[in-house]
Amino acid sequence: MDFLLEINTEEMPPAHVKAGQAQIEEKLRIELTSAKIGIKDLKTYGTCRRLIVVGDFVPAQEDREEVVVGPPKAVAFAPDGTATAAARGFAKAQGVEVGELQVVKTERGEYMGRRKIEKGKPTSEILLKILPQIISSLSFPKMMRWGESPFRFSRPIKNLLCLFGEKVVPFSLEGFVAGDSTTGHKIYSPQRLIVKSFSDYKEALKKNRVAVDEAERKKMILAQMDEKLEPLKAKLYPDEELLEKLTYVVECPYVFLGSFSKDYLSLPLELLSTAMREGQKLFSVVKDKKQLPYFLGVADACKDSKSLIKKGNERVLKARLEDAKFFWEQDLKIPLKKRSLGLKQVIFQEKLGSYEDKTLRLKKIVSYLCDKLEAPKIKQEVIQAAELAKVDLLTEMVREFPSLQGKGGGLYAKQEGYSSLVSLAIYEQYKPMSLEDESPSSLAGAIISMADKIDSIVGAVGVGIQVTGSSDPFGLRRNAQGICKIILDRKLHFSFYRLLDKVLLIYGQKLERTVEEIKSLCQDFFVNRLRYIFEKRGYRYDLINAALGASIDNIYYSFLRVKALDGLKASPHFEPFILMAKRVNNIIREQPPFKINPDLFLEKQERELHSTFSIIKENVEPMISKGDFSQAQNIIFKIQPSLNSFFDRVLVMAEEKKLRQNRFALLQAISRLLLQMADYSQIVVEGEREVKAQGSK
Amino acid sequence: MSIQDLIMNLQKYWTGQGCYLAQPYDLEVGAGTMTPDTFFRVLDKRPWKVAYVQPARRPTDGRYGENPHRVQKHFQFQVIIKPSPADIQQIYIESLSSLGIRLEDHDLRFDEDDWESPTIGAWGVGWQVLLDGLEITQFTYFQQAGGIELMPVPVEITYGLERLEMFLEKRDNIYDLNWSSDTTYADLRMREEREFSEYNFSQANIAKLRKTFAMYEEEAKNLIQKSLLLPAYDMCLKCSHVFNLLDSRRAISVTERVKMIGQIRTLVNQIALKYTGREASS
Repeated sequence: MDFLLEINTEEMPPAHVKAGQAQIEEKLRIELTSAKIGIKDLKTYGTCRRLIVVGDFVPAQEDREEVVVGPPKAVAFAPDGTATAAARGFAKAQGVEVGELQVVKTERGEYMGRRKIEKGKPTSEILLKILPQIISSLSFPKMMRWGESPFRFSRPIKNLLCLFGEKVVPFSLEGFVAGDSTTGHKIYSPQRLIVKSFSDYKEALKKNRVAVDEAERKKMILAQMDEKLEPLKAKLYPDEELLEKLTYVVECPYVFLGSFSKDYLSLPLELLSTAMREGQKLFSVVKDKKQLPYFLGVADACKDSKSLIKKGNERVLKARLEDAKFFWEQDLKIPLKKRSLGLKQVIFQEKLGSYEDKTLRLKKIVSYLCDKLEAPKIKQEVIQAAELAKVDLLTEMVREFPSLQGKGGGLYAKQEGYSSLVSLAIYEQYKPMSLEDESPSSLAGAIISMADKIDSIVGAVGVGIQVTGSSDPFGLRRNAQGICKIILDRKLHFSFYRLLDKVLLIYGQKLERTVEEIKSLCQDFFVNRLRYIFEKRGYRYDLINAALGASIDNIYYSFLRVKALDGLKASPHFEPFILMAKRVNNIIREQPPFKINPDLFLEKQERELHSTFSIIKENVEPMISKGDFSQAQNIIFKIQPSLNSFFDRVLVMAEEKKLRQNRFALLQAISRLLLQMADYSQIVVEGEREVKAQGSK
Repeated sequence: MSIQDLIMNLQKYWTGQGCYLAQPYDLEVGAGTMTPDTFFRVLDKRPWKVAYVQPARRPTDGRYGENPHRVQKHFQFQVIIKPSPADIQQIYIESLSSLGIRLEDHDLRFDEDDWESPTIGAWGVGWQVLLDGLEITQFTYFQQAGGIELMPVPVEITYGLERLEMFLEKRDNIYDLNWSSDTTYADLRMREEREFSEYNFSQANIAKLRKTFAMYEEEAKNLIQKSLLLPAYDMCLKCSHVFNLLDSRRAISVTERVKMIGQIRTLVNQIALKYTGREASS
């Protein structure tokens, strides 16, 4: 049977609509499933004014069988088959005849019992109960109250519509009773519309200027944009985020093309497009990557026959571009180098000092990274870029448009004639902004970006800034992920632990926690971030833990480790080998380290294991240090037969102490080699898997 | 329609909605929100409906009369209704229609824009209202003021009168607006903008302002002690304006900014607590 729910509200922010859609679908699925109501179909739609759920559910709950267990069969009936007092008493209590009792098999044997069939309730009755709970439990990035109620939601609710099988489900919430009506577009059709089904609803809203399906609205926007751009042979300056936002902000998308004076084309594209995007949410129009004196806007309207929308937006944009031009020209009057003197006035973080302090640290960190990454040729220029990197925080442009930080500095540096390496490095210093964003395109940009981020992380951790579930005031997660992403994208090799040491040394006395504490917190933090990144890339959680358990000193190798494990997990050698590795670990657990003495090997199998191991070790170690973990692993598999016969024939726990310790020593050496590959004890093999998977969440 | 017609129309519309028509407050404020007709009246549980024009001073926005959009003093039309009516958005939309704007020909959007005033410990949730891309109104459901959770929830509608008039007259320069049929905005305000910009950015005496801040702060503390809360709040408004002047002289460092805002907020929160009788017994 068809289900339709619409929560009509005042304008919700796009992120809230999406959050609401996802939660309401999940919660409804959980509630219906636990109420034993079959779901044939369930999906959601959203606009800034509506959360819409459409479904196809069975009309009623499944019937439920309940078994009431009574006395054991042997007690209930005498050997001659007559019912005892126990049976009669139970039957009476249940309100049935003794003859209606049935045999119930339990773990403890056969009992007499009664099977009751509970008729499933109609789905509409269940919906009536669960919908108010589900809606009240939705959570949004920021909640509000209105009127006189403590109830919280994204924005005030205006109306509720709920139908199941064309009948109203009249649930109550916050003084509203769900009905069968809604309203159309807030300007064109604010009157009530009565609907009977989803198709009816969709049709009625379409007639009243609301496209309920976000995918459809996006298509409408793109098609209209193409129509406007075609004659100009131009393109949209891509801005997926803005497009996504607008898809939710408007219920009736209408795209208009506006223009502005060519005088503003002297401004950089980044500045123009930012001035257009922020506030008015306009798209900039480009041809061959150059800005044209046009823009596209998306209005919540069905037409603009008098061009009032277009002209109004042109007037507002003119003012914004005038401001932008003013900022650009003002900023260029003071060279970056001179402006950098002002950095000492700008606080980076209260305990960590000013941006001047940060700049001094940055110069040292990039210099160190250039050495470690064997990039001596660019070192001087990268240091120069680091020196100027934060100056744009003092420009009018970045003050007005904070999203241009970095880019602004890069543009000014280019304008002042700094080398393209320097200006690009400044320009790219905040990249990647997220895991989806691209890493800096230049090595110089990558170095500045990593240096800036590690400086922030070590500093923040050092003065006790905590990252908790929802709060990350310094963006430390994003920073750490940015560093990891750059390393993985550029396949960079350097010691992460040494980098931490270096940054700690540069900070010196400024930090409040001890060096050991900070280092270990930072390492844990990066392990968690790497785990998150690898999980997002689809690797199995236990393989990830095994790879990260080895070491994250070389972050790129952590990735190669998990990749190698993933490539080998299907090999027939894999699971037996893991079991073997675990066995080795279990045996040597809690033993102090011992040294191998080859003369003490008594049995053939232990001598053989020792020599196989020595050969394998010699072959494998160079591979490990080159990061070729797949090949190394394939060779390590070859230790298995020798280990097998060792365990078959040799008693590790020998009576004689010297023999026993020597055997421990051999196993310890093997374990140490294995740990250079991965912490195999983290890997879950068949049979163990389910239990551990639950614990890992 | 001139600015004075616009004012008269809005006054008529909102008094028609049951609002009492207040007069502008006679101290410098950064926004209509800060005047006692809003600040004190949203704190308690009694219903409240008020509308008034309030000049708002923002010294850093001065441009010596040379920028077509930015001025160091502008005029707001402020509406406060508590509790927020269920159909307030529709009532607001109709206020625009009542000004003769045919909304079917335009793009009216409510864009997420949550409002916050750290100085008076207030925040709210709402939108900036854009008409063909021009921000004409700030629409906010107050959640907190003076550090106190507000119940019932007041709604605040703040029209930017110059912006709205620029839309109505289709102008792109604020100084070309008609205040009345024979007086322009420039006639009335140009000299004021020039002289105050010079004062705000160059002449305001930093040392004296700092002293004044301290004096007003002390006075506010004394008045709070004596439970003279309205005068105490006036002192906070004076502190706030002095702070804004110091800011436009770029005399305040980042840490100092946080500290000074915190000083004012502490006072305002104490006033709010006392006013609502929630003062912790000390």
